[in-house]
Amino acid sequence: MYADASSGRRAGTVAENSVGVMEITTTDLGLAARVQHLKKTYGSGEGTVRALDDVSVGIRRGQFTAIMGPSGSGKSTLMHIMAGLDSPSEGRAWIGDTDITGLGDLELTILRRRRVGFIFQAFNLVPTLDALGNIMLPFELDGRRPSAIERARIDGLIDSLGLGSRLNHRPHQLSGGQQQRVAIARALATAPDLVFADEPTGNLDSKTGREVLQLLASASREHGQSIAMVTHDAIAASHADRVLYLGDGRIVADHPRQTAEEISAYMLAAEVAA
Amino acid sequence: MTAVATVVPETAATGPRLGWLRDRGMGASILVAALSAAFGVILVEVTAYIGAVLQADPFIGDSGTLAFIVALLSVLLTAVAMYVAAIVTANTFATIIAGRTRQIALMRLIGATARSQRAQVGRQGFIVGVLGAGIGLLAGLVLAAVGVQIGAQFLDNDPSGFSLAQPFIALPVVGVALTTWAAAWAGSRRVLSVTPLQALGGSVERTHDEVSGKAGRHIGSWILVITGAVLLAAGVVIGLVSPLGVVVAFLGGILSFTGLVLGAVMFMPPVLRLVGRLFGTSATARLAAENALRYPERSSRMAIGVVMGVTLVTMFAVALESAKRLMMSQVTGEIPEEFFAPFDAFASIMMVLVAVSAVIAAVGLVNLLTIGVVQRRRELGLLRSIGLSNAQVRTMVLLEATHITVTATLTGLVLGVVYGWIAAQSLLGSVPTLPEFTPAGLVAPQIPWIPVVIIVVATAVLTLVAAATPTRLATRVAPVEALAAD
Repeated sequence: MYADASSGRRAGTVAENSVGVMEITTTDLGLAARVQHLKKTYGSGEGTVRALDDVSVGIRRGQFTAIMGPSGSGKSTLMHIMAGLDSPSEGRAWIGDTDITGLGDLELTILRRRRVGFIFQAFNLVPTLDALGNIMLPFELDGRRPSAIERARIDGLIDSLGLGSRLNHRPHQLSGGQQQRVAIARALATAPDLVFADEPTGNLDSKTGREVLQLLASASREHGQSIAMVTHDAIAASHADRVLYLGDGRIVADHPRQTAEEISAYMLAAEVAA
Repeated sequence: MTAVATVVPETAATGPRLGWLRDRGMGASILVAALSAAFGVILVEVTAYIGAVLQADPFIGDSGTLAFIVALLSVLLTAVAMYVAAIVTANTFATIIAGRTRQIALMRLIGATARSQRAQVGRQGFIVGVLGAGIGLLAGLVLAAVGVQIGAQFLDNDPSGFSLAQPFIALPVVGVALTTWAAAWAGSRRVLSVTPLQALGGSVERTHDEVSGKAGRHIGSWILVITGAVLLAAGVVIGLVSPLGVVVAFLGGILSFTGLVLGAVMFMPPVLRLVGRLFGTSATARLAAENALRYPERSSRMAIGVVMGVTLVTMFAVALESAKRLMMSQVTGEIPEEFFAPFDAFASIMMVLVAVSAVIAAVGLVNLLTIGVVQRRRELGLLRSIGLSNAQVRTMVLLEATHITVTATLTGLVLGVVYGWIAAQSLLGSVPTLPEFTPAGLVAPQIPWIPVVIIVVATAVLTLVAAATPTRLATRVAPVEALAAD
């Protein structure tokens, strides 16, 4: 399972880098996740596409970070690699203090199960399980029941997300906004190091979308949850504490909280310049 | 790790003229049609051959009643074979159509009319039917020829001058071609309800509630099952007076089993639910169990294919064993061993047919499970991204296959015992084996354990085989697929 053709090479890189150097850990830097000199290319020879070109960036702990950029800017690839869903061509990635670059599929799966939360644009929920079943899924996949503390946390989440009366509903019986709340509850249930949200409001009307964004922002503000959200919606990004801009596979700007107008203006200028 | 098998559906519009034959499920559909046709052809040949063997048997040959019974059996077995062929083919094709919803929606989106799409499916069904039936006819004749050669080696009273050119082989061949066509047409009814919009979102299969809403079909199923059960009981009673009881019982068997098949969506889910509970409460077990009940129509269809195979085989085994008992109860002394030789030969040939119907069921099951996985890529991607390991994916798919086969085997064994006993009882309850004997009257069902063990082992193997391809496809699904833009 670990005998991935390229993992040997990666493991070698990891060993080289850690020899004799007292490395600064992700935690020391106050980060929840980070990547270093990340490169990702697809194809070879003439047709090589460079999705990520030497990206080094960290997601600050307890912050709500938006990753913005036009289509093809590499923002999705960056998120996939940071979340352990895809492997880089070069460079390293950490979730917390765990270097995930050399990990095998099973280790990555368990890491995602325990330490990463996901909120997708659509199709977040397993259609055959009810809302509670979906929220509990990360624990059940781990073959355990939530501890008393975790149970209290889950109950708190269910309460604050207003899902109390919907727990026995199947996804198709829930509205889009309710489905997204269940997804948020599931993503936050394990108190992961980092929650990745991929266009979480893309399928919602603007009022419901705003509510979802406020929920994410308050999870970060009130519970110190680290969140990274990929979006191309300026309004969505305006809820974040920090906005990272990607263009042509590079980080092109890194701003603290901005208004939707500022973000739009920046994006527009970048489009025109390109 | 991220090797992704992208399934690009070829359409009649994009591919070469017969490119659609490479669509997922089409090859399997031809195979099923071919197997069904071959199955039918072989069954006709086998029953004709057994009839000829019995004719040539020094003990039985002069019994007018037995000659009639053999002729009757030939017709009944041919009918059963055609019936199995028709249902399996129809089921497979209907599922292919269900799996094509997106593609049809896309064609609708870019301007094809629903009617033209349906006509296209009908044409494809006809071609698949003709191809499959043709291949099946050839394969069936070749196998039958080999079988006759083998028979000649082992039987003392080899029926010389037995010809493979039995006119009745046309029945299963034409029948399979036509039923495939008809099945394609019937299955394509769904094409009319596909909206162009379904090309844009994840296509949604009808839910349990909507299926249950078709009350008419359910009432029809109940009427068939109840009428069939009454006729089966009547067959047993008439069988105590006349061998014609088997005709009544056969009609009852056909009606009740048709009722069970048509009402599978109603009858199978409770059994599925029961078996699903046996898997325990782990996340993978629950996901697997829930998945079988997500599309009750599809799962019931999958199960019923296996049920038919198991029922048929159990029925033959139990019928033969019970028939032996019926004959043996007539005398206090020993019946000479040679007397049962043709019956044992018949039993062996029937056991060979086990393999054929099991293979038909396996192809159907592989096909349906595979389509189930392909249509669930996003969900599998989602599960992978939130922490379902590849080993758990493997367990889940295997449990899904097991769920279907265990349910089907249990159902098939019970039905087979009932039908088999009724067949023997209604046919032989009144018949004296030799003119001076007294008929046996009622005997208890006789269950031969060796065939039952073989059936259980065969379905276990079937489960593993059926799960292999879907498992391979499912474990290839990368977590990123949950994020796919469509």
